[in-house]
Amino acid sequence: MTDDTLRPATRPTAPARFERPPLPAFLAYLVVGAFVIVSFGQVDLSAAQLVEGIPSIGRLLDRMVPPDLDRLDSIARALLETFQMALVGTVLGLVFSLPLAILAARGLSPHPVIYYAVRSLISLFRTVPDLVWALIFVVAVGLGPAAGTLAIMVDTIGFCARFFAEAMEETDKGPREALTALGASRTGVVFSAVIPQAMPSFVNTALFSLEKSTRSSVVLGLVGAGGIGLELKVAMDLFQYSTASTIIICIFLLVLVVEQASSHLRSRIL
Amino acid sequence: MVAVAEAMPVAAQRADPSAPVLALTGLAKAFGKIRVLDGIDLAVRSGEAVALIGSNGTGKSTLLRCCLRLIEPTGGTIRLLDRDVMALRPTALRALRADVGFVFQRHNLVPSLSALSNVVHGAQSRRSGPRTWLQGLAPQALRAEALQCLERVGLADLAGRRVDHLSGGQSQRVAIARALMQRPRFVMADEPVASLDPSAGEEVMDLLVGLLRTDGVTLLFTSHNLHHALAYADRVVGLRGGGVGLDAPARSQNVEDLRHLYD
Repeated sequence: MTDDTLRPATRPTAPARFERPPLPAFLAYLVVGAFVIVSFGQVDLSAAQLVEGIPSIGRLLDRMVPPDLDRLDSIARALLETFQMALVGTVLGLVFSLPLAILAARGLSPHPVIYYAVRSLISLFRTVPDLVWALIFVVAVGLGPAAGTLAIMVDTIGFCARFFAEAMEETDKGPREALTALGASRTGVVFSAVIPQAMPSFVNTALFSLEKSTRSSVVLGLVGAGGIGLELKVAMDLFQYSTASTIIICIFLLVLVVEQASSHLRSRIL
Repeated sequence: MVAVAEAMPVAAQRADPSAPVLALTGLAKAFGKIRVLDGIDLAVRSGEAVALIGSNGTGKSTLLRCCLRLIEPTGGTIRLLDRDVMALRPTALRALRADVGFVFQRHNLVPSLSALSNVVHGAQSRRSGPRTWLQGLAPQALRAEALQCLERVGLADLAGRRVDHLSGGQSQRVAIARALMQRPRFVMADEPVASLDPSAGEEVMDLLVGLLRTDGVTLLFTSHNLHHALAYADRVVGLRGGGVGLDAPARSQNVEDLRHLYD
């Protein structure tokens, strides 16, 4: 073999630096780009506004400091209620998520009609924001933590049922086939072969869900669904900014503690 | 160990050694236009160990799965343990599967559970409900039986260990213990040692065939290892071109005889 045989007949050409998009895609990019630019104009956001707003923020911060600790007792009680709403709502949501997830998992659902019906229900729970669920439950069960707890429960189902279903779909099919081959019932296969494999993912999702619920439970009070959100709204409405700052610091600490605890548990369990 | 062997009802099934445990007539399976099995006739008699050989894609695994309708055949009849498999409704099919142990190439154990829990799962062949989902929930009698099955495969000491912390050979022995827990009348094994090194493979085959011969359980296994086929089976059946290309007593064959199936 000589050098000539190794040399290509023509020089290879490098591909173009950028690929030219097809016309429909190009038009789509153009429309989206134009819409983004128009939207900037519509929301009236201007640098002058931001600059003018800085002194107001400064005055607000000035009135917030030092935080007023006189009402710490009632704030602590509201904070505990907020966390309890998040906890109970999440636990209830997890309890309902598991059966719904089994019905919404491809390969485990007993019938395609059930699969699509349950998937749609879960999508509805997920796509409607928790604040809207809170408004609905305030009308249904009245003001207070029960409405907030129910809103968190529904929100948790929307989040967890979907991820539980996906975690179960992704499990190794081998153990499932083995259990089916030895005559196990459908329930037996799910609880013996599928759920144990998906359990680490379940725990991970459940802990994320608790973090998410804790953050949600803080704002649900704004629409009267219980918790510390109501205290914050009242303090702001009555211009009690030093009380409001105490509440905000307490909320920050609660969310931080829950996130840290959740992160620690995840690293221990998984 | 002897007590466990006596507890197994399989010995009673040896009454008529000439009766076929499995009889396939014209078994066919096509995946789209590809006819993998095209009119298989095969009978496996009680107490026999039959090796099913053939090159890749000849339908060995498909045949085993068709026998339990884990894959639905496209034609033919299957008579297994005196039942017309194609006519069985779901509940009766589950009852049939309960009598048949199936050992897979990749053991198919639940990785995050202990060896004992995986063996307890074998009891789901005769009992439903949460008490067979985990060893911790199982009644004492089931736990004891599962432990005895693990003892028979030499793994009683590792009963509490997660199976994803076991070696390939150990995992396959746990899978055999799970099959024993079923108290099977017939066992099918789909290339049970293909993923193991030669030494572990031989150990597992010795164990599988030895235990089933002790219990008088009929065995149909697939293998690419022609030495295993000749050493552990009474009869060798070769698949070729969708049909049976060879059906002969193992003692009448040698490795060179079998190689033409792969030409």
